[in-house]
Amino acid sequence: MAVTRETAAAVKEVEQYKYGFVTDIESDKAPKGLNEDIIRFISAKKNEPEWMLEYRLKAYRYWLTLSDEEPAWAKLHFPKINYQDSYYYAAPKREKLASLDEVDPKLLETYKKLGIPLLEQQMLAGVAVDAVFDSVSVATTYKKKLEEMGVIFSPISEAVHKHPELVKKYLGSVVPYSDNFYATLNAAVFTDGSFVYIPKGLRCPMELSTYFRINEKNTGQFERTLIIADEGSYVSYLEGCTAPQRDENQLHAAVVELIALDDAEIKYSTVQNWYPGDADGKGGIFNFVTKRGACRGKNSKIMWTQVETGSAITWKYPSCILQGDNSVGEFYSVAITNNRQQADTGTKMIHLGKGTRSKIISKGISAGHADNTYRGLVRIGAKADQARNYTQCDSLLIGDKCGAHTVPYIETRNPTAQTEHEATTSKIGDDQLFYCMQRGMTQEEAVSLIVNGFCKEVLQTLPMEFAVEAQKLVGISLEGSVG
Amino acid sequence: MKPSLITEHSFGEAYAKRLGVAPWRGNLPGPKVEEWRFTPLRSLAKIVFAPADDVDVDAVPRTVPVIPGAARLVLVNGAYRKELSDANLGKGVEFSQGKVAAKEGSSLIALNAAYAPESLALHVTGAAKKIIHIISIGAAGAAPTALHPRITVTAEAGAAVTLVESHVGLPGETYFSNPVASITVGEGATVRRYVSVDEDSEAFHLATSLVKVAGGGTYEAFHLGLGGALTRQEVRIALTGENASVRLNGAYALSGTSHHDFTTVMDHVMPSCASSQVFKGVVDGESHGVYQGRIHVARDAQKTDARQVHKALFLSRGPQIDCKPELEIYADDVQCAHGAATGEIDPNHMFYLEARGIDPEPARALLVEGFLADAVNEMSDEVVRDIFGVAIGTWLKRRAVGSHA
Repeated sequence: MAVTRETAAAVKEVEQYKYGFVTDIESDKAPKGLNEDIIRFISAKKNEPEWMLEYRLKAYRYWLTLSDEEPAWAKLHFPKINYQDSYYYAAPKREKLASLDEVDPKLLETYKKLGIPLLEQQMLAGVAVDAVFDSVSVATTYKKKLEEMGVIFSPISEAVHKHPELVKKYLGSVVPYSDNFYATLNAAVFTDGSFVYIPKGLRCPMELSTYFRINEKNTGQFERTLIIADEGSYVSYLEGCTAPQRDENQLHAAVVELIALDDAEIKYSTVQNWYPGDADGKGGIFNFVTKRGACRGKNSKIMWTQVETGSAITWKYPSCILQGDNSVGEFYSVAITNNRQQADTGTKMIHLGKGTRSKIISKGISAGHADNTYRGLVRIGAKADQARNYTQCDSLLIGDKCGAHTVPYIETRNPTAQTEHEATTSKIGDDQLFYCMQRGMTQEEAVSLIVNGFCKEVLQTLPMEFAVEAQKLVGISLEGSVG
Repeated sequence: MKPSLITEHSFGEAYAKRLGVAPWRGNLPGPKVEEWRFTPLRSLAKIVFAPADDVDVDAVPRTVPVIPGAARLVLVNGAYRKELSDANLGKGVEFSQGKVAAKEGSSLIALNAAYAPESLALHVTGAAKKIIHIISIGAAGAAPTALHPRITVTAEAGAAVTLVESHVGLPGETYFSNPVASITVGEGATVRRYVSVDEDSEAFHLATSLVKVAGGGTYEAFHLGLGGALTRQEVRIALTGENASVRLNGAYALSGTSHHDFTTVMDHVMPSCASSQVFKGVVDGESHGVYQGRIHVARDAQKTDARQVHKALFLSRGPQIDCKPELEIYADDVQCAHGAATGEIDPNHMFYLEARGIDPEPARALLVEGFLADAVNEMSDEVVRDIFGVAIGTWLKRRAVGSHA
């Protein structure tokens, strides 16, 4: 209840997009547009080895052949993106920082507004933050401590130099460069992101976290994240996003690859709260993300949790390939769309190994003029004996101008597998609202409370710090949707 | 991404010339067309079909059940055959034959409109006393044949009728049946329609039903799919008046390499309508079952109650099931739900029956019949329900004999 009160307070406090500010830092930019020179420029800027450049160019050349293949199957409407009208590289001016003191004070100010106390991190229990400001990681903390334990947690650009054997082995092994239009673009132009390697048998003692933030005007953000959990290890990774208010649509096409070997477990949590555009649908981030995890080893587990409240367009399907016998994939999602936002999100669970299990819990909330689509695939391969899937998709509509859609695909090739799918659509009951308001809550507080209850199953799976933030977000996102 | 089309097929100039009509200039949907992703038509397009020759059919096959007291309208290769029919429809129903108006629609509807002989039109003006049994027979003779039956049913306000359709074939060359049924349910009218598709094992059957239900009207349908190489029963229903109600149910039982596809679109246009769908299937051998159902609720269709269930049961290792239950909802004060599940026979259930002295094969048959009964029992006409139940029983026996061979 205390948290709910907090939510209510937050609803009151925040009248406009809370994170709508721009930090004024000069940035080091590549010219607008996309061609092989830009890719060479990015690669040169990062001082990359030859094989990395080759990989990028291979992806770029393939991307050129895809010009007609920009995915159009999602229930999303947006103007055609001119990929030549964007910057593909922007880095904060000062690089190579010796310590946190050297971080641009303005940058630190930005994080402060976002509630990331970078300077107070050592006191912040158990969270190491690898902060990505635009495209380059500028500060990495707790690194030493993690290093001692054998954990590699670094910007991927650094990992390319320090651990080329790991990057070479795993980069593109889950999401190949030819996977889809946006992933291919990412493979060509990705600027930075996180690299995580957890050694055998280690339970990573702290939650790893990266805050992504889009700041530079017209800069596409192309993060690349690669997480490898070696045999018997465990890691929980948090990703949170906020972006300043801008009028032009900003493109974001990230790729996240997870690899879990025998008995390993990866928990990946996201809170996405990028600028959604104003009430008339002007501005806002276009978010085209390819996230996929491979449960390579036996008994391995990958768990995706996402709270998607931001972005004008969300195109995102965190998936699990369950290769190892008895491996487990889980997907928990809350997607909230308000005003003119559009979200087409869901998951894919590909069961290949014996005894594989998957669980999908998706909660879609649609308000204003927004459209919210769950699109998911459960595929049971012929060899996936005793595979098990449970899917639940619930949609909540607030107002009569929005839409909620469910498009599940269930493809079964094995008789011993059991799949179950349930979906419902409903609205907030008048009696529920009445009950809350009769007890002195305002309508918005009541809606926030009811919606938080609707999402509870998903929010519970988030790590503590995130859960609190997410509950607040749920309330803020639906502000102005009732009455 | 451009939707791919199958442009190489046998329904162009040469086909039209044989009939002496204007050729169909359309194409068949390819695998990249979302609605056809699970049902590829490549194998169909490869066969050179011709319009039906005069095949000598002097009796309705004995596999077609006799419904007591029902009127019989028989189509052979899509054309009405008076001498095989008993067109005494009784009070409340009139029957006529008319030209098929070329209408916009899917490519299969257009193909049907281009080459259909005269359509069979039923005009229901009151409460019909007799069940009307329409029998469509595919008879290819010596060469692969295509047939395009067309049925139109118009039920006036307050009228009521029960229709049964049996789609069967005669042994011989392969054939392709492409029936289209347009059904209009007037205000407060009731139409019950029970369709059984049990085509020859080599045959293709791609049926489209277009149904419109006006305010206060009731449409109840059951579709059974038992045979054929490739069968698709596509049913598109629009609820166009307040308080309309639709119950659409179906079952399929597949063996060998049969492919069966149920595609349904339930379009709630107006407020306060209800629709429910129960589909059940059993798959054996290396067969392929498909269910894709879309519920669309328009902005104005408040107080909609729409439900949909699809469950499939595997009887062996080898078949595949693809299911896509879709909700597309634009109104907030609605109750919509869908469910889907697949699995095999619960060994505990088998054990229970075997422990009571029932042999495995009858025990399995009992469980399968029980499984399908959820859908079959939705039929409100008891006589037809029993007849369809017998057909399923026959399929199970056929399967049991096959598995012992």
